[in-house]
Amino acid sequence: MTSSTTSAPLRETQVNAGAEFDSSEGGLALPAHFGDAAREYTAARQSSALLDRSAFGRLRITGADGLDLLNRLSTNKLIDLQPGHGAGTVLTTNKGRIIDLLVVANLGEELLVITSPGTQDKVVEWIDLYTFGEDIAVEDATQSAALLSVVGPQAAEVLGDAVAGLDLFDSTDVELGSRPLRVIRTDALGIAGYDLVVPAEHAANVWLDLADRGAVPIGELAAETVRVEQGVPRFGRELGEDYNPLEAGLLPFISFDKGCYIGQEVVVRLNTYRKVQKRLMGIVLDEEMPDHDALVEANGGQVGFLTSVVDSPAMGRPLALAFVRTAHAEAGLAVEVPSGSRAVSGVTLELPASAGTE
Amino acid sequence: MTPLTISISEKAARKAREFAEKSEHEEFGLRVGVKGGGCSGLTYTLSIDADSRPEDKVIEENGIKLFIDKKSYVFLAGTILEYSDGLNGKGFVFNNPNAKTVCGCGTSFSV
Repeated sequence: MTSSTTSAPLRETQVNAGAEFDSSEGGLALPAHFGDAAREYTAARQSSALLDRSAFGRLRITGADGLDLLNRLSTNKLIDLQPGHGAGTVLTTNKGRIIDLLVVANLGEELLVITSPGTQDKVVEWIDLYTFGEDIAVEDATQSAALLSVVGPQAAEVLGDAVAGLDLFDSTDVELGSRPLRVIRTDALGIAGYDLVVPAEHAANVWLDLADRGAVPIGELAAETVRVEQGVPRFGRELGEDYNPLEAGLLPFISFDKGCYIGQEVVVRLNTYRKVQKRLMGIVLDEEMPDHDALVEANGGQVGFLTSVVDSPAMGRPLALAFVRTAHAEAGLAVEVPSGSRAVSGVTLELPASAGTE
Repeated sequence: MTPLTISISEKAARKAREFAEKSEHEEFGLRVGVKGGGCSGLTYTLSIDADSRPEDKVIEENGIKLFIDKKSYVFLAGTILEYSDGLNGKGFVFNNPNAKTVCGCGTSFSV
């Protein structure tokens, strides 16, 4: 699948604004940058930025049993979610491995589920597999609307009073250019961020409107840099069936008192008996970026592996996300990352790093 | 070879009838099924139902009708529904030959 028909007008608008396309996610080509990734990064860090997240899958779930079923299939407590509220939650296998990290928003008349890019088919199949007599209908709504995200410390000001005070994963309606739109606070890059679900036919106009209000269009390069600096895991890098939610730092999305869900026994046992083998942390590197999946060594032995690497303006150096064995997973550990015939030196740290981001 | 049916022991059938009488059903069947959830992926469901639904498989044994929806039947074929009483009794017990793994408390399974 190349860029979808529904995103074509938006793509044209982005091209007119200087977008360069060289990355692809979930079948949609997304802008890599708009000519100046450094300026785009600064906008996300210091003011407000406009990010196209349309590659992330979106499911519409209707029927009386939607929350109950999702509650039985995932890690967080969803059963009491009132309209206007939402939660992050992890679909796990019966071995406690990550199928996907989801945002579930109760929009009142329906549930909106945001999946990772390209995982929506798998998520729908998983829900179908465990649907027996429940009153539930799941529809893939990814193609019918764009997902535009306004991120950064001034993001709320771009969207107006309606979003002021909106808690993480809560949703409300905003009016943009006399169009009512649903906005959900997702903090997708680990900084304040609001996702707007925009019907495809309005996506280009809303995108232009948000840019007019001062949100600086940013591409994947700047977004990826902020994501890694904030320590936010991404599907295919830090999320997937190779990992469990505790390893991937998803503790805030796990309820330990909600009762059974698929994978619960394993997740609870790992946590109770401190059997988590590795965990996600940051590594600041001294020089050029090694491969994003390079091994990490300390004192001559392997202690982990990299999963993502960016050139971090906040650190003034390359910054990696890495899974580090629990026994070594403490900030300040000197490590080496073999890169070709050399080894790049680095130091572990907890992310997000509060120092250095000013 | 697992017989492709679902059976209910004499004791389990008697207990089911007792529950049904308490709930004042005259004509009834025991609805047996599975649903998603539990630590291992699937959990058993049991309820008293006045009548079967068009898509149900209906099995009669020991004087009791079992109603099983088609999708649940796939996961339950070969199961013997028994009843374990006494101080350490577990109540209704599903002996399901399809269950490859069972969670610690025994109420959920995967195939």
